[in-house]
Amino acid sequence: MNRLLVGALALALGAIPATAQSLEDLNIQIHGYATQGFLYTTQNNILTTNSSNGSPAWSEAVVNITSQPTPKLHVGVQARYFLLGNYGNAITLDWAAADYKASDKFGVRFGKVKIPSGLLNEIQDIDPSYTWSLLPQSVYPISSRNSALAEYGGVVYGTLKLGPKLGKLEYRGWGGEIAIGPNDGYWVTFKEEGIALTNGLNGVSSGTALHWKTPVSGLMLGASYTRLNKSSSPFVDTYVVPAGPSTGVTITTPGALVLNAINEPDFFGRYEKNRFMIAGEYERESAIVLLNGLSPYPERSDSRPWYGMTSYKVTDKLTAGVYTTQDVNHQSTLGPARYFKDWAVSGRYDFNSFLYAKAEQHFINGTAVGYDAALNPPTVALPTGLQPSTRLTILKIGVSF
Amino acid sequence: MKKLLFALLLAASASIFVVQVKAQVIVIANPSVKASEVSKNDLKEVFTGASTSIGGGNVVPILLKAGTVHEEFLQAYIGKNDTAYRAGWRSLVFSGQASMPKSLEGEAAVVEFVAHNAGAIGYIGKATPHEGVKVLSIK
Repeated sequence: MNRLLVGALALALGAIPATAQSLEDLNIQIHGYATQGFLYTTQNNILTTNSSNGSPAWSEAVVNITSQPTPKLHVGVQARYFLLGNYGNAITLDWAAADYKASDKFGVRFGKVKIPSGLLNEIQDIDPSYTWSLLPQSVYPISSRNSALAEYGGVVYGTLKLGPKLGKLEYRGWGGEIAIGPNDGYWVTFKEEGIALTNGLNGVSSGTALHWKTPVSGLMLGASYTRLNKSSSPFVDTYVVPAGPSTGVTITTPGALVLNAINEPDFFGRYEKNRFMIAGEYERESAIVLLNGLSPYPERSDSRPWYGMTSYKVTDKLTAGVYTTQDVNHQSTLGPARYFKDWAVSGRYDFNSFLYAKAEQHFINGTAVGYDAALNPPTVALPTGLQPSTRLTILKIGVSF
Repeated sequence: MKKLLFALLLAASASIFVVQVKAQVIVIANPSVKASEVSKNDLKEVFTGASTSIGGGNVVPILLKAGTVHEEFLQAYIGKNDTAYRAGWRSLVFSGQASMPKSLEGEAAVVEFVAHNAGAIGYIGKATPHEGVKVLSIK
């Protein structure tokens, strides 16, 4: 309820100066995009789809309405339909915010706002804005992106000129509440283990980011630091007895998920010159999740994911790119489940300003990212249900206006 | 040999023509804009949404919807074609950071809008009548 009030307040404040103006003066705009993807894998099923048989279960549609009643004030709201295998299949609020930019040095945005961490977090769910079909999954996992995309709170931002030979420094600072709904794709693997979070998970998030636009034209170096405070939520643990005299009996136990505080430093850089772009990012994320239920146990992770990517605009309409990425969970036992390594080769063709198509090939080793148990059931020959390597082919078409 | 000379002559003429076309795009601003000149980098930042000021004063970029002058401006000062340029703005629009700049049909409409709106800045062909606006020189 409080979050609804924040959103309503943001829009209402934005609308006050708007009421006295004509619709033309309000500069009301409606924009949107839609994408349809197709996945095919040679080994495991990936991203909760039946990809080994070829799966079209990847659709997104986004629409927003914005208004700029004065040059310094911008208000808007954006909704999204997202489906990827068993993730999503729901319409959600991307953001709803009022933004007041007093000058290049200082601006503030509040409501439900995108979190400006890392190199690509603000645009990681905006398919028309990049070459790739899937961003490096070690840093930007699509399965759990909702937990990092937006928060109910505010962002302050601005750009400071450092001097004629020192470039510019862009700063961002944010704080608010992250809310992951009970049916969010983030919980798919929990549900498959019989754990249903009745209220989802809410937590206080804050952070800061600096982007240094260096005196070298096209070179940006940056760092961000994100903190998610300790949070907890009740869950229901359902266990079906698999064998013995009580076979089939369902045992239901209430419990509580406790997520200890997460601190996430992130370092990144990008260089662009004419048709060429190269970028990289490294982050550190360690977490402890306590599942206090029928059989309490802590789940620890300590990941240091990174990627390096480059792209080249071959013609005005065709862009080609390649990236490599790795994620190793140093708390995990040795084996393919400990790591995720991926080489991706991608091409994007823009038919015009509105319509584009993408094709992408992934060479994945390790199973630490992107897999669920339900669609990769264990067998006698394959107790984990997963092959150590997967080849993933993606085709995608998109339209935006 | 004659064919080769003819081809070279044609290529040289074409390059001269391109230079002349580039020189024909001018940047105009509402008289309220205090600056009389702007660096190529500052112009690029304003028209890509990275900045909203020139010389300390707020400005609002105005675009042409399409056409030779539009493409010429983008190539000369932004370094992108229309598709890549608008894709950059869409990143800002879909992440809630900005609204798409107003795009107008025709250079006369750009002159009209820039002349009557404080802080407006646009671009037109040099030959287009532009009373009521000031021309910014590019550093």
